[in-house]
Amino acid sequence: MSDPALLSLAEARAVPPDDLLQACRARIAQWQPRINAFLGFEGSAQAGLPLAHKDMFYRAGRVSSCGSKIMQNRVADCTSAALERLDAAGFADLGRLNMSEFAYGPTGHNEHYGDCRNPWNPDYITGGSSSGSGAAVAARLVFGALGSDTGGSVRLPAAACGVTGLKTTWGRVSRHGAMPLSHSLDTIGPLARSAEDCALLLQAIAGFDPRDAISAREPVDDYSKDGPVLRVALSSAWIERNADPEVAAAVLAAARQFKNLVEVEPPDFDTLSAHCLVVMQAEASAQHAQWMRTRPGDYSSAVRARLESGYAIPASQYLEVLRLRGAWLERFCGETLGHADLYLLPGIAVPIPTRQATGPQGGPDMPRLLGEVTRLTRWVNYLGAPALVLPCGFDARGLPLSLQLVARPFAERTLLAAGRAFQRATDWHRRIPD
Amino acid sequence: MTTVKQWSAEAIETACAGQGIALAPGRAERLARGQQALLGASAADALLATLDFHADPTTFLLVIQKSR
Repeated sequence: MSDPALLSLAEARAVPPDDLLQACRARIAQWQPRINAFLGFEGSAQAGLPLAHKDMFYRAGRVSSCGSKIMQNRVADCTSAALERLDAAGFADLGRLNMSEFAYGPTGHNEHYGDCRNPWNPDYITGGSSSGSGAAVAARLVFGALGSDTGGSVRLPAAACGVTGLKTTWGRVSRHGAMPLSHSLDTIGPLARSAEDCALLLQAIAGFDPRDAISAREPVDDYSKDGPVLRVALSSAWIERNADPEVAAAVLAAARQFKNLVEVEPPDFDTLSAHCLVVMQAEASAQHAQWMRTRPGDYSSAVRARLESGYAIPASQYLEVLRLRGAWLERFCGETLGHADLYLLPGIAVPIPTRQATGPQGGPDMPRLLGEVTRLTRWVNYLGAPALVLPCGFDARGLPLSLQLVARPFAERTLLAAGRAFQRATDWHRRIPD
Repeated sequence: MTTVKQWSAEAIETACAGQGIALAPGRAERLARGQQALLGASAADALLATLDFHADPTTFLLVIQKSR
């Protein structure tokens, strides 16, 4: 048998499921003590291609802790739509993956269950909030994993762990039976070994679901299909001015893999990020209001502080920012993209920080550092658009560098086709940590 | 346009207490500074000047469908 660590999902279909399961379990035994990616294991997984998921996708009769103390014993009374669809498509669920508490943190720290650690170097963050998903896929413990993305929570761990992660269009994948954080921004998407594998997983989970009020009726494309030659917009001067030099060099070199490049003015990342934060804070704080009144001490200090921020957002400001959302999306599609199909930028513009610098003992510089890590992801959630993060190199410390592509709403097929083309020409996605 | 005024720690503490939320010690001061940046970004958004009076938060659902 070929080493399953080296196989794609499509290739793994030719391997007997029991062999795959055995190989994944052997890797989990080897890696779990080092990276703490799993919170719990499924005792009797059905036969199939091995996956595992962020511990916020409910399965009836099973605990989903959502990375929290508050829900550590809560047994789900329904199964999430995304898990139902993966079960039906023949994937196996090996267990529950680590995550930031209530998906409300960008680094992968978790005071209740222990931090998830980066497989490339455990002193560094995995990115969050789908920390276990990024780490487990990078270490090849599973073939893919579901994550959620409200401000970057699929893309940040994909970027920091060197895997491929897809933030889907708002409404493309049903959120029924998944933990809510911010209903105007929450999306569900896959992290996997390649864009090709992300396409297979998206094909299984995408589509209308009457149980999710914002589920879109847009037809589901064939995500395995390639399209015409793509036109890619980017803002090279902005990247050179604002990104770390190693990041800028890798991203601009990666951009040259796309033949039809067009230089454009960058979106106003910082204004859009601020708007996203207003929406996220207001909605997350409303979602948690009852527990914040009765059990504030059961949150970690970092998550409690983030939730406290939302109670100081005036309702009129929250609604004004939501009123602006459509106008900003029209501007992005009409002016930034224009005649292009995709907008290209880094996934994370700064070097991946250490867990120490961004954790509870992080010091006064931590808020600025976290702001830099999330600077290029949150704006996409505000627009509701899809985005794909791909590995595009390694820095001098041996940590992954990443490329991000953003498309028009419901253009996941375009994104995945571009990702496949990029990964046919490069091999960054095939690198595996020792 | 009226200048956006800095929120005070006391105002933040009162707004939260009015919702039944007790802030962790020392939190109100930090919140007052942090929220200022967000409030300022909204008030200074140039798109506000061109925003259709009839646009409301649900307008986004129409825009996202037609932006495909």
